[in-house]
This record gives sequence, C-alpha cells and structure tokens, in this order.
Amino acid sequence: MTSIFIAVAVLSILALVFGVILGFASKKFKVEGNPVIDQVEALLPQTQCGQCGYPGCRPYAEAIANGDHINKCPPGGTATMEKIAELMGVEQEPLNAEAQSSVKKVAYIREDECIGCTKCIQACPVDAILGAGKLMHTVIAKDCTGCDLCVEPCPVDCIDMIPVETTLQNWDWKLNSIPVKVIQPEQEEQTC
Amino acid sequence: MLTLLEQLDKGTLWQSPGGIHPPQLKTLSNQSTIARLPLAQRFVVPVPLVGEQAILTVAVGDQVLKGQMLTEGTGFIYLPVHSPTSGRVIAIEQHATNHPSSLPTLSCIIEADGQDAWCELIPHSLEQLSKNQILDKIKYAGIAGMGGAAFPSHVKLNPASEIDLVIINGVECEPYISSDDRLMRDYSDEILKGIGVIHHLLNPQRIIIAIEDNKPEAAKAMQDAVQRSTLPTGVVRVTVIPTKYPSGGEKQLIQIITGKEVPSGHIPAQLGIVVHNVGTAYAIQEAIYQGKPLIERVVTLTGEQIGQPGNYWLPIGTTITDALSAVNFSQSNAQKVIVGGPMMGYALADLDVPILKGTNCLLAPSHNEIAPDVDEKACIRCGECAIACPALLLPQQLFWHAKAEEYDKAASFNLKDCIECGCCSYVCPSDIPLVEYYRVAKSALKIEAEEKHQAEQAKIRFEARLQRLEDEKNAREAKAKEAAAKRQASMKSTDKDAVAAAMARIAAKKAQATSATTTPEAPQSTVDPKKAAINAAIERAKAKKATQANTVSRDDELVTSTADENVDDKQAKIAAAVARAKAKKAAQANSESTAQTPNSVETTVAGTEPSADAVDDKKARVAAAVAKAKAKKLAQANQTDDTVIEAEPTTDAVDDKKARVAAAVAKAKAKKLAQANQTDDTVIEAEPTTDAVDDKKARVAAAVAKAKAKKLAQANQTDDTVIEAAPSVDVVDDKKARVAAAVAKAKAKKLAQANQTDDTVIEAAPSVDVVDDKKARVAAAVAKAKAKKLAQASQPDIDEAASQPTVDVESTVNIKPDVALTDASDSADLSPEQVKKAKVAAAVAKAKAKQLAKRAEQEEQ
Repeated sequence: MTSIFIAVAVLSILALVFGVILGFASKKFKVEGNPVIDQVEALLPQTQCGQCGYPGCRPYAEAIANGDHINKCPPGGTATMEKIAELMGVEQEPLNAEAQSSVKKVAYIREDECIGCTKCIQACPVDAILGAGKLMHTVIAKDCTGCDLCVEPCPVDCIDMIPVETTLQNWDWKLNSIPVKVIQPEQEEQTC
Repeated sequence: MLTLLEQLDKGTLWQSPGGIHPPQLKTLSNQSTIARLPLAQRFVVPVPLVGEQAILTVAVGDQVLKGQMLTEGTGFIYLPVHSPTSGRVIAIEQHATNHPSSLPTLSCIIEADGQDAWCELIPHSLEQLSKNQILDKIKYAGIAGMGGAAFPSHVKLNPASEIDLVIINGVECEPYISSDDRLMRDYSDEILKGIGVIHHLLNPQRIIIAIEDNKPEAAKAMQDAVQRSTLPTGVVRVTVIPTKYPSGGEKQLIQIITGKEVPSGHIPAQLGIVVHNVGTAYAIQEAIYQGKPLIERVVTLTGEQIGQPGNYWLPIGTTITDALSAVNFSQSNAQKVIVGGPMMGYALADLDVPILKGTNCLLAPSHNEIAPDVDEKACIRCGECAIACPALLLPQQLFWHAKAEEYDKAASFNLKDCIECGCCSYVCPSDIPLVEYYRVAKSALKIEAEEKHQAEQAKIRFEARLQRLEDEKNAREAKAKEAAAKRQASMKSTDKDAVAAAMARIAAKKAQATSATTTPEAPQSTVDPKKAAINAAIERAKAKKATQANTVSRDDELVTSTADENVDDKQAKIAAAVARAKAKKAAQANSESTAQTPNSVETTVAGTEPSADAVDDKKARVAAAVAKAKAKKLAQANQTDDTVIEAEPTTDAVDDKKARVAAAVAKAKAKKLAQANQTDDTVIEAEPTTDAVDDKKARVAAAVAKAKAKKLAQANQTDDTVIEAAPSVDVVDDKKARVAAAVAKAKAKKLAQANQTDDTVIEAAPSVDVVDDKKARVAAAVAKAKAKKLAQASQPDIDEAASQPTVDVESTVNIKPDVALTDASDSADLSPEQVKKAKVAAAVAKAKAKQLAKRAEQEEQ
C-alpha cells in the first residue's frame, strides 16, 4: 500500500519539477515572431516588385508562412520556388505563366527624354533612381532590382528595362559549353 | 625535431597530395634564348578598370610614348596601364579581350610609329628610396603576378602580417610552358636583383627559389646567380623539387616546401609565406633599377602548328594574330589556340585579342598533340579523380551535384577550394570534362552570392526607404499639428471672430431665405476691422429690411442697434447711411400702401436711433435725424398728431444746428402729413414752421417734406379701404398687424409696379442733381410743384379711385429721390468728402429702391 503512495508522490514531485522546468524554458527561450518568415524572406530576391500581389518581399514571406502559393515570385524564378518548397515542405508548383523570363534586367532612363517629374523616384522601392524635380533622372544600375515599378508611372515613357550587360565579372562559363565564336562586324576591318 | 628553417635549409621536401605526370614537351620551346619579334603595327591595350577605378589620360589621336601611362586612378588594387610602344591612339573602343568569353572590353588601340621611343625613365637604386616609394614605383610600373593570375604585386609585397618565408616560384609545371625556364636561364642575375628588392621590402628569414627538377639548367643558373648576388648568405636558397603537376600552384608549392597546408579560405600571407613568380621578380627589378614599367613579358609560343616555337619578348597588347603570324603559325581547320598551358589554359574564340600580363603561353597544338574533344561518358565512380585531386576534394561528388545544378550542395563539398588544375579531367576514364562543370558551378555560385548580396542591399535600401517615408510622414503630421496650434493661439481675438462673423453672416442669410424672422448675431458687437464692420453694416441693413418687411419684434432690432454702437469708422457710416436709406425706402414703400403698421415704423426708428447716437459724426446724426423724422412722420400720418410730440424730444436731444434743422424739417413734415390726412390746410400750417427755420435748405427740405405729405395724404384719400385697415392694425397685436402689413404691402407693390417703368427714369435724374445746393433746390422746387399739381389733380376727383392710384404711386416714387436729395443737400455743408459719401449713399439707396421695385414686379408676375 505504501508503495503506491510513494509512487504517486514521486510521480507528482517529478511532474511538478518538470512542469517548473518547462514553464521556465518556455519563458526563457520564447521565440519572438515566426522564424519561418525570416527564412522564407531570406530566400526571396528582395526586388520588392510586388508581382506576387503583396507590397514587398516580407509580406509575401508572411503569406507563404501562412500557406499561400509559393509560385508567385517571378524575379526569384524556379530556383527560389524550389528552395521555398523545400523549406516549407510543400509540393513544388510551376511558376505563373508570365513569370518565365529569368533574364535579369535593370531600368534605364533615356536621359534626354526625361522631363524630371520624379514619379519614377517615388515608385522605386529601393531608392535606386537619382534625380530632382525638373532635372534629369538616372538609374543607379548597381542598386536597381529590375522590378519594373518605375516604368508604369513615367509620363513620357522614357524608361527601358534592359538586360544586364554581361561582363567578364558575371560571365557564365556555362555559355562556353557551346564553343564561343566571335563574329566580327564588317565595319571593324574598315576602321582598323 | 628540426625547425622549419633548418628543414628549409636542408632542402627537406614534403609530399603534396594528388597530382599527375603528364608528358613533358618543354623541349619544344626551351632550346633557344628569348627572342624578339619585329614590332607589330597595332596594339590593343585593354583598360578594364576605366570607369570603375581609373580614368583615361589619353584621347583618340594622342601621340603616346613607349611606357607612357594610359590610365590614372586611385584605389589600393588599382594598376596603371602603359603604352607598349610609341605611336598614336587611333581608337578607344570595346574590343574583344583575352578571356574564354572573348567579351569586348574597353581598349586603347595604339598604332605604332615604328620609333619605339621610350618615355622618360627614372632609374633608382634601393638606397635612394623608402619602402613606400619602392612600393609606389612597383605599383605605378603596373606590375602584376606574372604566373597567370595577374594579381597586383605591390599588394603582396605590402602584407599586413610578418612574412617569414618568400618562395620564388620557378616551378612552371605545365607541360608545354618554358617561359620561366628561359627567363631563369637567360636573366638569372636580374631575377636575383628583383629578389633583392623583395628581400628589402619584406625582410623574410628565408627566400626559397623553387624549381622543378625537369629544368636543371635553370636551377644551375639560379644557383650561380645566388652565389654572385650581394644578398646575405644563407637567406636565399634554390630548392629543386620533383616534377609533378600541379606543383606550381601556390598552395601546393607551399605544402611541398614547408609541409604546411594553407587553410581553406585563407591566403598564404596568414602563414607568413608569400609566393612570387620569377617573372614578377624580374619585372620588379626592371621597374626599380631601370624605371621601366611592365610593358612586355616572355611568352612561350609553342605547339606543332607553330613554325618557330620558342620564347619571345612580347609587348603587352600585341595581338595574338600578330604574334602567331610572326612565328609562322599555320592555321589548320578548327584548330584551337590555347592561352596558357594544355592543362589549365582556355581556347580562344577570337585571335584578335591582346597578350596580357598573365599570358605566359600560346599553344597551337596539332591534332596529334591534343586529342579532339570526345563525348563524355557516364561516371563510373572509379575514384581516380579523387586520387589525383591536389586539393583533396571529391571530384565525382562535385561533378554529381554540379551536373544536377545543386550548386549549394556542390559548395558544401568545398567547391571553392578547387584550383581548376584539370588533374581530374586528365585522369577521368569516362572523358568527363570535370573542370568545365566546376567552372560552371563556381560561376553560378558566384552569381548566386552576388544576387544574395544584392538582395540584402535591396532589402536594406527598401527598409531604409520605408523608414524614411514613415519619418517624413510623422514629421509632416507633427508640423501640421504645430502649425494648427500656432494658428489657434494667434487667432484668439481677431481671426476667430472674423470666422465667427462670417459664419454668422452665412447663418443670417440662410435664416433670411428660409424664414422671415432674422436675428442678427451678437458677435458683431466685437467686430473692429473695417471689413467686419462693413459686413456687419450690410448685415444690419438686411436685417432691418427683413424686419421692416415682416415686422420682426423689437428685441431683435435692439440687438442690431447695440452692434452699431461700436461702429466708428467711415465705411461703417456709409454702410449705416445705406442701411438708413434702405430703411427709409422700405418705410416709404410701406407707406405708399398707406397700410403702414405702426410697429414696423417704430422699430425702424428704434433701430436707427441708437446707431445715430453712437455715430459721432455730424452727418451721420443729421441723416439719422432725418430718417427718424421721416419714419415718425410716416407713422404719424396714419395715426395721430401725438407722435409729433414724441419726435420733438428726441430731436431736442440733438444739439447740432443741422440736426435741429433736420428735426424741424421732420417736424414740419410730420405735421403736414398728419394734417394731410385731416384737411388740406396743413400746407399753410406747415409754412410757419418753416419760417422758424432760418436756413434755406431747411426750407427746401420742408418743401420737399410738404410735397411728400400731400401726396401721401392724397394716396390715403384715394384708397379708403387701406385707411380703414390702418387703425385696425393699431388695435390688434403683432401677428395680426403683420398679416395686415403683408396684405397692404402686396397691394402697394402692385400699385407701384403698375408705374414702375417710368418711375425709374425719373428717379435717375434727381440723383445727378445732388451735386450742388442750387440744383437740389431747383429739383426740390420742381418736385414740390409736381406734388402740388398731383395733389390738386387728385383732390377734385375723389371718385376716380381707379385712375388715381397710379398717379399717386408715381408721385411717391418721385419723392424718394427727393428725400435722398435733401439728405445730400444737408450733408453738402459739411465736407466735400462727406458729401461724396452721402451722394454715394444716396445713389446706393436709389439703386436699392429700384431693385426693390423690380423685385416686387417679378414677384407679381
């Protein structure tokens, strides 16, 4: 009989001790916010383009964490979608149809056509456009995320999205799998 | 246990892992001394740093000398570019460069003039220069690593940490290349001088010249040079290492010489070791002791396709086409030209590209030498590549992930430590071009890392922007609040009241529109600015009109009168005058109908009286008195003579002459009116009263008043029913009076409208007459005469009631301008300014009268 009481007492004490430990741990090691959001956000390309339908990458990351589709990020492309699928443990989804173009682009302002309205500056989510009212604007190509948001507000349509120029620094060796052949323009012979 | 230095001195060597032993073909090119080729006509000097770290110092068309600097820039790793020969810059344009991609790079195209004239060279000795000056000289000589990587040498010669060991790399492990071999054989003393400079700069404990054992001549030459050199004995040592590819790699060489492995992601300097190429040592010597910049280098031109293989001094910028054509290069179909060795080199897509500082070999192999590309077969997991790998990586795993494009997994297998030596590809039984895969994977990782960095930057910028917008918004709100508070504080007395007054006006208007009873707001009493006063005056005038028209209770009028008390400025007076004039007209309009309600008349009097008292101006008083008098007269005309007595005390209170005159006139008028109702004798009675008045004007006014009285009397006579209505109004209370008044008014209006068209014309004429007294008198006389005639005409024919009213109304309308006239004539004695104002007031009054008449017409219609 006493053994039953001892058992109950011991278990009760154990329960109490562990309860205190757990309670303390839950306070001490409390995680603020949802860490998944940060992880998803780290995978997103941070173009802040809004093509996903959310006002920026963070809101989309939050939406994904809450179960939204993972195929809404055209700038991130398939690679980003796959990473998110892996992280979230969900099925991969093909990207939306219009999101296929993966060529990175940057905005370019045809400067002699710019009227200095500052509308593109207001539209740029990353402050990559430089200029002042009634003065020419220009895009800081290095900081441009190619989000397209400046193209729409331009009243004179002087903003082009041009593909990023391939330089020796960003040249992809993959291109070399097809033997590189330089075709000389005809005029070069004449100038030389 | 021996120390490292002792082991170095002893020549102890360590094994480096992996490596291969490809067939050596150095003999193809190392048999002859380094030769020079005839000067080429055209040089292409890439200036890739222009726009980033440097600017061009030459323009198209400029003459340049050999060794002249083409760019200028700052930055720690900036290296200047020099002209390889004298000549002219014929173009600065994008030109294909010596790179696997053959991508165009900004280049200076220099046309040689054949002189090959040096610019001014400043030779120095080590003693003349400080260490920093030496480093600057090396930097501005544009010296980069000559082994292939072309890393700026001055950076490696100025390390952050202490350097214990310098290794001079003369290993040259690539099977075909012999440029360092020949350089060591032919220029050993110069190389030693360069080593002396390095020793001076770094002051290491040991300098090891490492040479592979397949170059015994070079090793001997260097050994001899070391013997001859002035460097402290025991510091410099030539170490011959066994031939194995890739012993020439920096990390591999360090491992062979010292047994130390450079940790992944570190540089040798962190171990106190620096490796320089023998070519670099030679270039440093040239720069310091001769002042020559790095504008040429030894290039091995080899391969079976080349007629005269060997080593040549080629100016940097010489195009590969020029170099090859000078050595009888025979171009066969689909034959590659490889830059660098067969192991690590890359095939050129375009031969019109320049020799660069790191270009140590041009290989033009025949089909016999290098097998054409064969199809890659499946990886059989044999593991040969892992054995061969000098970096101890797992090439097959890297390949696996690289092929699957799982670059992050490849990265986890330390892909970045791959030196792309090509050993794995060399040993692969499946002919897999493994290095190609790694290069693709590496560039993909690099791009990915770059994108990630950009994404981070974009995020930072985005968040900074959001923060900025938020701050701006808050600042704007705070500012608006502050401004509002300020406004509130500053508008205490004036603005607030102005606003309130405006609001009151709007409210009053609305009230007027909706209901007849208007109650002007009390806030007007505090109004002090002009505009407010004017507004208040207009307000008052309207209110009065409204009251007159609808017989508002007396209390309301008192409110307006109190408002008037504070009014003291001219405009206010004018406004008051206008208001009075209107009141008069309105009163007259009412009196026309002869259904004049006592209430309304009395209220107007009450309204105007206090206002007149408050106004300290003479004119105002006079006008007020006149107005009072008239109002009374009108009232009296309908009632009794008692009101005349009531009028007298009020006029007595006025101490001014004119006021008295006006009062007298008023009295006279009142009497006349009263008498007119009773008998026709009043005209005679009125005359004595005018005698009492000493002033001519007074007489005139009296005459005018008389005329009016008569006419009114006549009007009363004609319309008996109206007369009957008047007494009844006296008896009944306000409501009934109002009703009656309204009925009477309506009737009067109808009557007035019948004759209106003609009246307005008559009204306009007298207003012009106001100008001076004489004319006014004349006009008054005329008016009188008319009035009399009318009166006479109306008297005999009492029965002709139907026709008479029209005449009566006409006459009353004529009286209106006369009243204005008398007012004006009274005021004419004061000052010209006041006269003007009075005139204005009169004109305004007239105009208003017209409007009223018109409105009445419209109403009738």
